[in-house]
Amino acid sequence: MAFLPLSTPARRIGALLAATGLVAAGLLASGVLERSAVARDVETPLTPEAMKALAPQGAKVAAAADCFACHTARGGAPWAGGLPLETPFGIIHATNISPSAEGIGGWSRAAFHRAIRDGIAPGGRHLYPAMPYTSYRGLSPEDVDALYAYLMTRPPVAVANKANTLPFPFDQRWTLAAWNFLNLPAEVAEPDPARSPLWNRGRYVAEALGHCGECHTPRNALQAMRSGAALQGAVIEGIEAPDITPSGLRRMGFEPHGLARFMAKGLSPQGGATHQMFDVVHFSTQHMDAADLAALSAYLFDRDALPAEPETPPAPAPAAVPQAVSLRARATYAGLCAGCHGQAGEGIPHVSVPLRTNTAMRVANPGGLLRAILVGLPAQRFPGHERMEAMPPFAALIDDAALADLATWMRAEWGGQDKAVTPEAVARQREGLRADASH
Amino acid sequence: MSAAIEIRDLTLRVNGEPVGPIPVPVGTSLLDVLHEWLGLTGSRMGCGQGICHACTVMLDEETGPREMRTCITGAHWFEGKSIRTVEGHARTEPDGTVVLSPVQQAFVENFAFQCGYCTPGFVTGASVLIETLKRKPVRRDEVERVVTDALDPHICRCTGYVRYHQAVRDLVLATPGLTIA
Repeated sequence: MAFLPLSTPARRIGALLAATGLVAAGLLASGVLERSAVARDVETPLTPEAMKALAPQGAKVAAAADCFACHTARGGAPWAGGLPLETPFGIIHATNISPSAEGIGGWSRAAFHRAIRDGIAPGGRHLYPAMPYTSYRGLSPEDVDALYAYLMTRPPVAVANKANTLPFPFDQRWTLAAWNFLNLPAEVAEPDPARSPLWNRGRYVAEALGHCGECHTPRNALQAMRSGAALQGAVIEGIEAPDITPSGLRRMGFEPHGLARFMAKGLSPQGGATHQMFDVVHFSTQHMDAADLAALSAYLFDRDALPAEPETPPAPAPAAVPQAVSLRARATYAGLCAGCHGQAGEGIPHVSVPLRTNTAMRVANPGGLLRAILVGLPAQRFPGHERMEAMPPFAALIDDAALADLATWMRAEWGGQDKAVTPEAVARQREGLRADASH
Repeated sequence: MSAAIEIRDLTLRVNGEPVGPIPVPVGTSLLDVLHEWLGLTGSRMGCGQGICHACTVMLDEETGPREMRTCITGAHWFEGKSIRTVEGHARTEPDGTVVLSPVQQAFVENFAFQCGYCTPGFVTGASVLIETLKRKPVRRDEVERVVTDALDPHICRCTGYVRYHQAVRDLVLATPGLTIA
């Protein structure tokens, strides 16, 4: 999901946006700054036969592009929208994209193309970049046609769109023309002839369809993805969307085959997909073709082909921890953690994930680990009738100093992280997180 | 981690009595210590994964009792702490009469349990609730919610939930001091 990182003060962005908006207002009003990626030939409507033939491919595109995760509220009617997306600027509600009057029932083929690839809905209404049109801009016209055919053949649902709660100036959609001018790429990536078809397909899957960068690429002051830091990781809602460049993936312990398996299953020695990544696996990647997952993995590891054998990176060497810290941490671990995660952090199949090979120990930001320990995790169902049990919240059982020791020791012992987690960092994490007592 | 099993002395209070120091391998669950070292077999090993809550005991803290799962919590974590197991709820009169705790009595009167496997956990969970309400009463219209919150984590394979919940609801409403108008 785009537009989420909270690291930059909204006020600063507001000032920037407003200033940019004022300067460009005249130009914007004239519309000359809008650059469409959509070719004229989509003005011709698709025949009913073509729509019918394209719809099955559209289902695959919808899954790979993860449209459902945002455009269906939890417990809501399929494609009827309503999911609230919390952004630094306010709440944006995903819209109804079923073919009803409230949804996209009246949209032409060309209008749909412009919304997906230019971020502009019928009537010139600018979409918020929470809808990842910056990434979808790279979708092929064929895939957009297929997606259109699929969505237009879903059952129409008469559910009105919910109003967004964005304060001025963020409720001024016209300002997004300036944002688009600055941040929307003019050119769409062409296949690189120097690379294999697998790599090129992987790039398309990762960058356009899967829009990985919307979470994993850090954002600038305007909340646009920093192209120079693509996929190098970002912090979203206090949790790290980790670095998924080849070196970042290897640091977490992934290798190309294992990564493709993780995207299909949601589980790996590196742990289970949690938070937003759980939704990604649940709604999107588990439904993707094995060939596309292989391509995705090849691209993310920057390989033209997957290696013949798994190339599991060696476990990081443990970092040194003061003995007092290690003693206290081991006692806490044996008391509260080992019952489910094993004496040596090996985990229990179908119950709890391993910790000694877990990404939470290896990523730079300890936020995800601290949050999981403090508030717990829900029981999760994974593809193939796999499941992991709920993790209870430990906020009431561990004080800041003890949790700092525990996190420091686990991350040093299993993740090779030599930067100590401080009690102050734990206290900050604890703030705002309320233990869910219902576990 | 290391091949040799580390053994450490454990000292705690169980049902008001001091226990230990007893040598216990690090990594032993409290449930195993209760069963194998102390002969207190009332707390049940159910799922062994912290899900079913048949193994819970009361951990007494300054702020009141807390329910702890003994199957997933290491015995040494309880070093120096004070716990109450299901064996600690009823009392025996000088003439030998056994007097059940109000929670136990309510479960009997409501025919709450069938096979009884989950009962120690339900007794523990309900007793923690009763003692919590003594310190912090709730409005009568909140009783339904607090009872549900307290008993929800407990799994009963005989599906006796309705009578368990009914028993605790009735007890809370009938006991002076647990509710406020």
